[in-house]
Amino acid sequence: MTELEPRRISDRTSRRRFMAATGTLGGAAALAACGGATGGGGGQSDSGDLVGVGNNGQAGTGRSGDGADQLFIAGFQWGPPTNFNTFAGAPAWPASSNVAQYVYETLLRFHIVSGELLPGLAASHEITGNESISLTLQEGITWHDGSEFTVDDVLYTFELGKIDPGLGIASFWTEVDEMTAEGSTINISLNTERKNVGAVLAQLAQQFIVPKAVFEKAAEETGNKVASWETDEAIGTGPFTLELADQTQVILARNEDYWGEDFYGALPAMTKIIHPIFKSNEDGNLKFQNGELDVMQQFVPQISKMWDSGKPVGTYLQEEPYFVPGSMPMFLMNTTKPGLDDAAVRKALAHAVDYASIAETAMSGYSSQVLASLVIPDGAEDQWIDRDKADSDGWTFDAAKAETLLQEAGYAKGDDGFYAKDGEKLGPWKLITPQGWTDWNAALEIVAKNFQAIGVDAATNFPQEAQTSTAIQNGDFDMACWYVAGTNPSTPWQRFSDVMSNVEMVDLGQTAYRNFGRWENAEVNDLLEVAAAAPDDASKKEAITALDDLYRVEVPAFPLMYRPDEFFEFNASNWSNWPTEDNDYAPPMFRGAGNEWIFQLKKIGA
Amino acid sequence: MSTVNSSMAEETAAPRANTLRSFNFSARFWVSLVLVAFVIAMGLFGLVYPTGPGEKVGSLYDAPGNGLLLGTDNFGHDVLAVLMAGTRTSLIIGLVAGTVATTIGVSVGLLAGYVGGWFEELLMGVTNVVLAIPSIVVLILISMSLPESTIWSLAIVIGITSWPWTARAVRAQASSVATREHIDVARLSGARLPGILLKDVLPYILSYAVMAFVLQVAGAILAEAALSMLGLGPSGANSLGTQLHWALAFQAVASGAWWAFLPPTIVLTLVSFGFLLLQASLDEVFNPRLRRGKRKQMKQAAARRAEEARSLAQHRTVDASTVSPPDRTRAGGPS
Repeated sequence: MTELEPRRISDRTSRRRFMAATGTLGGAAALAACGGATGGGGGQSDSGDLVGVGNNGQAGTGRSGDGADQLFIAGFQWGPPTNFNTFAGAPAWPASSNVAQYVYETLLRFHIVSGELLPGLAASHEITGNESISLTLQEGITWHDGSEFTVDDVLYTFELGKIDPGLGIASFWTEVDEMTAEGSTINISLNTERKNVGAVLAQLAQQFIVPKAVFEKAAEETGNKVASWETDEAIGTGPFTLELADQTQVILARNEDYWGEDFYGALPAMTKIIHPIFKSNEDGNLKFQNGELDVMQQFVPQISKMWDSGKPVGTYLQEEPYFVPGSMPMFLMNTTKPGLDDAAVRKALAHAVDYASIAETAMSGYSSQVLASLVIPDGAEDQWIDRDKADSDGWTFDAAKAETLLQEAGYAKGDDGFYAKDGEKLGPWKLITPQGWTDWNAALEIVAKNFQAIGVDAATNFPQEAQTSTAIQNGDFDMACWYVAGTNPSTPWQRFSDVMSNVEMVDLGQTAYRNFGRWENAEVNDLLEVAAAAPDDASKKEAITALDDLYRVEVPAFPLMYRPDEFFEFNASNWSNWPTEDNDYAPPMFRGAGNEWIFQLKKIGA
Repeated sequence: MSTVNSSMAEETAAPRANTLRSFNFSARFWVSLVLVAFVIAMGLFGLVYPTGPGEKVGSLYDAPGNGLLLGTDNFGHDVLAVLMAGTRTSLIIGLVAGTVATTIGVSVGLLAGYVGGWFEELLMGVTNVVLAIPSIVVLILISMSLPESTIWSLAIVIGITSWPWTARAVRAQASSVATREHIDVARLSGARLPGILLKDVLPYILSYAVMAFVLQVAGAILAEAALSMLGLGPSGANSLGTQLHWALAFQAVASGAWWAFLPPTIVLTLVSFGFLLLQASLDEVFNPRLRRGKRKQMKQAAARRAEEARSLAQHRTVDASTVSPPDRTRAGGPS
């Protein structure tokens, strides 16, 4: 079957073949039986000796025509693409920040599984203690317009943070004192007080380098308000150029003069990358299931059903949780509220939550067992966690224990069934998270039920995203599910800072950028400084564990589940050799080192 | 005017073998009654059903089987238990919202229709403005701005956005009643405005108000479902709408979990169909002109009544009764 079908199909027109691929296995077989007039079969077959195929070992038979050489991707662009200025508020994919490096590229590339920083535009990087970082650029890099890529472009990109302090890149300069170039080597001297190597590395691995010539003009045109500049062009250094962008799709065409042909060993396998723009998850998921999309970053409930029903769909991990954990949605508590200012209550609440139920239902099984730690116990961060302490000093779902803790803290159940102390009832509290973030909505429903069950009055409320975000930043909330730093070169330190930092504490009603629960502690800032400036791995782990210990005693917030940094799902209908646990030449991601698989995919069809 | 009174006198004068029969309930009425009763029974049965709607009995979208008639929803709850709790909530919301809407609508309509003049213009002006704004938009805006969403707040919000059409219809009826003679009599005998409205106007449009109420209940249940499906439903409570909301959010349709979205859809269909049918058949009961079909039955009834009237007349003639001949022929049937 593998031998015959591709050949039989190859002479059909692409549209017919494409249509056939959308049919189900049965439907397609029926079509094929009808003969040539209705198009070829779209059936799946055993993959034979192909690797990196569906979790059920299946692979498709490949598309024919133009579609055979194109990669269909989804999950990054939802509205019509209007602006490709990577510094704008909401730029279109792939100019949006920290996405796949198809058009723009970064200096370093982060690998979410190993935690390594791989070379990108910079061929190498060297860290000197916690004082400086030096980078040496690759040779022969050119921009899409043919001009030469130089150190000036790199310097200017970061310089934009000074030119327009409203840009996100401006925060680079709080960590860095000076950035100079010497030939093709760039020297970065860190801020001597903060010494935060991780935060600088994270910026180097996330900031797309832009052409100085283009953005100098933009800064001039807009009076240094670079974020307000609008453009429909994206001149980068990447393996693809922006070919077309309209209401329905974004099309990238292969850059035949790509500088990285030698570095990555080849040009990308596909001639075009096409991102259709869908209205909703469902549309994309259906197309993905049918093999009309090759790879995507969309939430699919119960993705295992796809390969159980014979589709050549795969994920990086073959077993649950299928995705490599990379972020940690946090349950934030406003510690200025009476009741929630008591660490014993917060710990009791952490005991009250049925984490397994959240992982199983709200997260479709895509989360592993949650540990009582701010370090993700997997992938890049695994080396920093002290599992024994997380187990012994932490918490697990135990409703009885939660009630005992409340009673020990002096709370007694009132006539209404809710705990109270000195007339201060625990609740009623509102649990907020943005409407439409379905897995978080469902998780909070479960948490509210769990709280009610132990005698704490709680109910969910799902405002719009903007409202939720404002309420959380201004401290105008009781409890919330919100995100903190996902795995990147600066985590877990960054996450501790996000959750616990007492630096620049602001009053309720003013915008905070970290520690939204307004948790106050005298020692945490010192601990954070020590951890950020740790000169070697051993002292870093010690400092991180000290922070984690404090976190477990005080419980300023707690994680509800783990989530992948990016959902990485592929359908081996047309391409094989996807990165999986057994075929781990590239990490399961799009951003950072996730660009590697575009050079390694193998076309299945003839 | 006199015809109303005299035919009423006829009704009371003519003895009936079966009072129920005189209502002429149609088959439609009984079908709708069964539907509504079934839905109400289902809501009530949830109170004695062993599994609670918040009890986790399985995993995400377990298929029906293993003692679970309708499988589990996205939370691992028993769909049947959630469905029964949801039906109850939806009915409560429907009844409360229907009561609120009908009360406002009838009050405004009665006042406007009876008082008339600039007051009528004012009230109807307001009503028309409210009527012109799509109520679903108002509903969504109010629901979004509520700090907390409970089933009661939702019911009241639905109620206060759906009264205008009732008000308009009631006004039309009330202004026609207001011109009748007995109102003049009431006014001359010194009755006050509230007394006249309640005792002399309202009874004449009560049948219409009841039907409007039934329609409002059905409408409110659907409005709740629409709001809840958008995620603006009552928090912490199950309703048919929230059930659909979660089914949509967890892509039950795409993953083939029909048991998560079909049951609430079917119950919603049944309950709104049942109430609408009930309204239509009540309409026929209250307004004989609208009775359709069953010509044969009508003729039979007419013949029966004519027979009754004749025997009565004969009887009264013997007793020297005072019933006048023209009225006797009127009693012949519902024309």
